[in-house]
Amino acid sequence: MKLLKELKLKNCSGLHIRPATEIVKMLQNVQSQVFFTYKDQTVNAKSIISLLFLSAEKDAMIEVSVEGEDAEKVMSLLVEAFELGFGET
Amino acid sequence: MFKTKIPKSIPLDKLYDKCQNDLNLKTITNVDLSKVQLKSQYIERPGLSLSGYLEGFNPKKMYVFGEIEINYLQDLHPNIRFQRLQLLITQATPVIIIANDLNPLKEIKELCKRHKVALWHSSKSAVEVFSVVTKILSDAFAPVVSCHGTLVEAFGVGVLIQGDSSIGKSEAALGLIERGHRLVSDDVVTIKRKEENVLVGEGPELTRHLLEIRGIGIINVAHLFGAVCISRTKKIDLIVKLEEWDDNHFYDRVGLEDKYCDVLGVKIIYHILPVKPGRDVSLLLETIVLNHRLKEMGYNSAKEFNAKLLKTIAQRQENRKKTIETVKRIKT
Repeated sequence: MKLLKELKLKNCSGLHIRPATEIVKMLQNVQSQVFFTYKDQTVNAKSIISLLFLSAEKDAMIEVSVEGEDAEKVMSLLVEAFELGFGET
Repeated sequence: MFKTKIPKSIPLDKLYDKCQNDLNLKTITNVDLSKVQLKSQYIERPGLSLSGYLEGFNPKKMYVFGEIEINYLQDLHPNIRFQRLQLLITQATPVIIIANDLNPLKEIKELCKRHKVALWHSSKSAVEVFSVVTKILSDAFAPVVSCHGTLVEAFGVGVLIQGDSSIGKSEAALGLIERGHRLVSDDVVTIKRKEENVLVGEGPELTRHLLEIRGIGIINVAHLFGAVCISRTKKIDLIVKLEEWDDNHFYDRVGLEDKYCDVLGVKIIYHILPVKPGRDVSLLLETIVLNHRLKEMGYNSAKEFNAKLLKTIAQRQENRKKTIETVKRIKT
């Protein structure tokens, strides 16, 4: 199953090391392949350096693509994490 | 591999910035270069178009006027000169370059001003303008694809290491760096097709020379190991995919035939390397590279061995025949 969604980056400092680590930690044991696309650049969301390369700022709309058996579960986890700003304000 | 991007146009200011120093360029008309899009990667000299023959003339290309063109135009009657130039310089023209430090004719200046066409002046020859601009434009218009992987240079060979997250790509790269090889980029590699079948990879500026090693964190190899262990770009010669060892999969055991994969229409030699504890991935990668170099030099270990084997078998068959014939002869 493949799911696509645009999620808004809500935390004030954008996608820096800490939120990127949170995302990678969350995706560590998931089956699905997860890709983030921002400003025409698509990267593997399971890699910290790839996520940092996006250098996405606050309010950036990230296109999230999740493909695999657990896609629905992974997408809902990501939606929640984006919504909570990865624990940052 | 992610989506391929083929640039359809580039802003003119990008070209100007890149070739300004090499060509000693000066702008004559006041045009906002960032708003002009260059839609063709080809640069031409007006040639026969100046005589009024416009078959095959493309107004979207940039044109270079050299000594011959300017001399020819100067020989024409002013009215005809203006008429001919009017056909050439239109709103669609992105830029006109006057080479050889020649003075742009007033008609060219006027038409460029009228149609808001950029007019540049260079002290270099038309041939130099051609070669510098062609090089920059073929690079700017080259198809690009980015992928998840690690690009290293080992024994002068560019190796793109691919594989799922946490398979050990970065650790393999670290092992290679420690053995004196070079890192180009980790995790994100941008691949550009230059010329017909050359792929060149590089890393994004922001994450260049960084490695993420689980248990250690993000390290900058340029600072840790020195400038000798990094390279900015590298031609990709091989792709090696690291995979979890699967007992049910039959891995290449002899290496008689090369496997290829297609990247931007270019065939690249492709290896699948199974990983399991105890296998020194860096050493295996070095061996793949050395074997590749040997093959490039015309020596294929597997084929050479196979040829030797076939020769031995043929010799034995011959001996067997001879023995049977001798036995038959003795019996009769």
